[in-house]
Amino acid sequence: MNGDTTITGTIAHLLTPAERRHWRLAWLSTVDHKRIGILYMVIGLAFFVIAGIEALLIRLQLMVPNNTLLGPDTYNWMFTMHGTTMIFLVAMPVLFGIMNYVLPLQIGARDMAFPRLNALGVWLVPFGGILLHFSFLASGPPAVGWFAYTPLSETPYSSQSGVDYWAISLLVLGIGSVSAGINFIVTVLTQRAPGMTLRRLPLFSWMIFMNAFLVILALPILNAALVMLLIDRLLDGRFFLPFGGGSPIMWQHIFWAFGHPEVYIVAIPAFAILSEIIPVFSRKPIFGHEFVAASTVVIVILSLLVWAHHMFTVGLGHTVDLFFVAASVLIAVPTGVKLFNWSATMVGGRVRFTTPMLFCLGALLQFLLGGLTGVSHAMAPLDWQTKNSYYLVAHFHNVFVGLIVFAILGGIYYWFPKMSGRMMSERIGKWVFWLMTIGFNLTFMIQHVLGLAGMPRRTYTYPDLPGWGWMNMVSTIGAFFMTAASILFVWDLVRSLIRGKPAGDNPWNAWTLEWATTSPPPHENFDALPPIRSRRPLWDYANPDRPDPVVPVGGAIDTFRPEKNAAGVITFIISEAGFFGVLILAYLFYNATPQSGPGGRELDVWKTAIFSVCLFASSFTIWRSEIAERTGNHGKMKAWLVATILLGGIFIAGQGLEYWTLFQHGVTVGLNLFATTFFTLTGFHGLHVCAGLIALMIVLGVAFSRAFKRGPLPALGPVALYWHFVDVVWVFVFSIVYLWPLIQ
Amino acid sequence: MTTQQFLTSAWTWNFAVLVSTGIALAAYIRAFGMNRRIGYLLGALIVFLFTLSSPINALAAGGYLFSAHMLQHILLLLIVPALLLMSLSRSFSFGPRRWLISNPFVGWICGVGAMWLWHARPLCNAAVSSKLVNAAQISSLLLLGAIFWRQILAPREEERLSPPGAVLYLFSACVACSILGILITFSPVSVCPIYAQPAADQQGLFNLIQSSWGITPEKDQQIGGLLMWVPMCLIYLAAIIAQLARWFTHPVGAAVAGVHSQHLGSPSATDQV
Repeated sequence: MNGDTTITGTIAHLLTPAERRHWRLAWLSTVDHKRIGILYMVIGLAFFVIAGIEALLIRLQLMVPNNTLLGPDTYNWMFTMHGTTMIFLVAMPVLFGIMNYVLPLQIGARDMAFPRLNALGVWLVPFGGILLHFSFLASGPPAVGWFAYTPLSETPYSSQSGVDYWAISLLVLGIGSVSAGINFIVTVLTQRAPGMTLRRLPLFSWMIFMNAFLVILALPILNAALVMLLIDRLLDGRFFLPFGGGSPIMWQHIFWAFGHPEVYIVAIPAFAILSEIIPVFSRKPIFGHEFVAASTVVIVILSLLVWAHHMFTVGLGHTVDLFFVAASVLIAVPTGVKLFNWSATMVGGRVRFTTPMLFCLGALLQFLLGGLTGVSHAMAPLDWQTKNSYYLVAHFHNVFVGLIVFAILGGIYYWFPKMSGRMMSERIGKWVFWLMTIGFNLTFMIQHVLGLAGMPRRTYTYPDLPGWGWMNMVSTIGAFFMTAASILFVWDLVRSLIRGKPAGDNPWNAWTLEWATTSPPPHENFDALPPIRSRRPLWDYANPDRPDPVVPVGGAIDTFRPEKNAAGVITFIISEAGFFGVLILAYLFYNATPQSGPGGRELDVWKTAIFSVCLFASSFTIWRSEIAERTGNHGKMKAWLVATILLGGIFIAGQGLEYWTLFQHGVTVGLNLFATTFFTLTGFHGLHVCAGLIALMIVLGVAFSRAFKRGPLPALGPVALYWHFVDVVWVFVFSIVYLWPLIQ
Repeated sequence: MTTQQFLTSAWTWNFAVLVSTGIALAAYIRAFGMNRRIGYLLGALIVFLFTLSSPINALAAGGYLFSAHMLQHILLLLIVPALLLMSLSRSFSFGPRRWLISNPFVGWICGVGAMWLWHARPLCNAAVSSKLVNAAQISSLLLLGAIFWRQILAPREEERLSPPGAVLYLFSACVACSILGILITFSPVSVCPIYAQPAADQQGLFNLIQSSWGITPEKDQQIGGLLMWVPMCLIYLAAIIAQLARWFTHPVGAAVAGVHSQHLGSPSATDQV
């Protein structure tokens, strides 16, 4: 067989015969979770190349003291773009890709719950990425670091459009991530195979399920922060500008309320990969499944609680610091539990040092160090000494590269045979592993020392102090080792795709359902499923004489399978509640003391109350519409639906009227903090009402269309849920914005 | 007054508190007799007495420290009712399912509402200035706390929420209380102004608190908010961990018990493939 026909053979894998005629669209228009998963990973790899080059430029600049390769501005661009790209355009998409590919297979589903939403999520990634990188062509990329602290990121200090591109692109990516999180949750809840109860979920699936909750809770907080920053920058708002009464510290709070969970959003999937691979290559079930599963829940909750430890050097006061030292140290407990479980899984097992296992072992050891330096940062006094030094840089790279990149590489080596039907090379894989491990530790281990010696992060060069030169040189050499490893890895990917050994269905003798189908799986994933009675169905299938103990069905909730669309909307509502929660808290904080200029007292409460009654009444009418739909009375249903739309429209008109009156009196967004917070909060609520109205009109249109003229209208229920949510938000907004000033 | 003098002298034994403790103990023994679970009851009563008799009460009820009040609030709402419920015999039932106390939404609103309501400025002030409101506050916290915890700790398994439901119930309560804690911690205005300027320094503690302990009214409010934000959530988190243990260990409706026991030996054995 010559090379040419093999390549054709590979392409035959990528496309079905029917698709060859329109091959351009086959991958662009796909809604298959497997292809979307691969697209996520390929897009992530492309941005990895970009962010990797940026990292190399940074290391080249720092290679020798007083270097002039990059100027200070270019250097600022590089570390900002490197950090942002690596987190939002590499780590998250690649991990989402692995989850997207593996999760439905592992729970025995045909596809994700919402395949089209899934496609939206993946295509938002290149869209957001291109937006971010378009700043290179505009007035230059952002130069404010990946967390864009205010007031540096505000117009007076960053007057060019780089920060705007940064914020808008993260908003796009954030929306995509929330959509993916909703999809993962609803998929696990509604698409599980018969017998796959919640307690029988394999650890990987369980952890991805838990992680998805973190995604839908944390990302909206970032989205709220970003819209506030954009309102400041584009509409002259005053949220984070000190001279308008705003609070730059507020940005840090909101950002880290997202930023700390974000660390776990990318770490938990890495934990999940480790929890999947280590048992398979130790030939033992994981030690203490329940402890790993439960500690994940604890991590999810604790991670939302401890963000202020990123702000010890801000000057929040000893009192605040003390509480967050305690809470932050606590989070080491569930993480430590996991490390013990992975180690105990290997003890007494027959460990096979394949490439995926090597990467997991490397991840485990490197994360141990990253975790320990993390605990050291939780100690406020130590943090004051090492904050913003290379000690911190070394710490988080130990987590992001040492744990996450290694786990991703392990995961790709592990699941590539399933995705392509071909094995990757063990020989090249071991080269990649050792080059990566040596390179990683050369680069970052020495940075701990550099940091303790006082080298600050984010400064473009350094004086020729004793020891600094050679240590930075070592670090740069390490970076080139990692580059070599990455190039070799991509080469291995391409080589294996074309010429790898055929993998067979289950090359690793693994136990979860993704290995119960062909490699690559057919479009519908499974022809038949083995019976599922435990967390390792394939083990039970292969060893009928000594299967795993049956995991009993734990009551109704264990087999809980809600209606798909309602579950999707409720998950979306939870996420939206987080978004509005931040806006409401910001309103309360900024309006606790009366402003100079107009405030809540000047609003016309009575007029708004009348319009509010219309909105609240619309909740009643849509409820009547639902009842009519259930009883099959189509005419009544449409009438109540029309009434709902009218009432909603009246409310929006009322809001418009109020805005118009305020504008007439010169009250605009930038006038004072009250105006900024008022227009932001009521404006976003109004936007949601408009979205709800559009959804209602679509439902109405569908109701009038031929197909649904007589039958039930399943879309009505979920839209009604969303509409109720919009009304409930208004209860809070109305009480806080309009009624609170009356008693204040 | 030194700190040591204060800690030894500030114990006050309120008649109503002592009597209600005695009545609770007597009623328990009469209803359930002496059993192992009486330990929980004793725990509840000790915490109750400590909350309302120790120097914490002197600081809180005397209008000195908002944070001491918050500590009382947490102990009375979360710890005492939980221990009381745990002390009940496993066969005890709250009688026919009444909608009001068996509905999880009502339970949630009671638990979270007790936090928010009593920190509305007029109520918070009144609880210090009026003995009657103070008594109402204490009893309402105990009652609302019991209704909240009933969803988690009802003696009978079938009256409790399922573990995943309970995790959501507790987590959302933790979030709702955290939000209030965050507001109090960072609020630029005083949440409970009566603590900011103790009207009459009856016990002469003002100097001790401000000079020796260095607790200014602003810092005091911060500690109060943080108590609600962090340790209070940790109480919910502890309950969540207990629920997870229940979820993973409790074999509800194990239909295939035979198979279950038959192969108990195999899971830890190294596989021989």
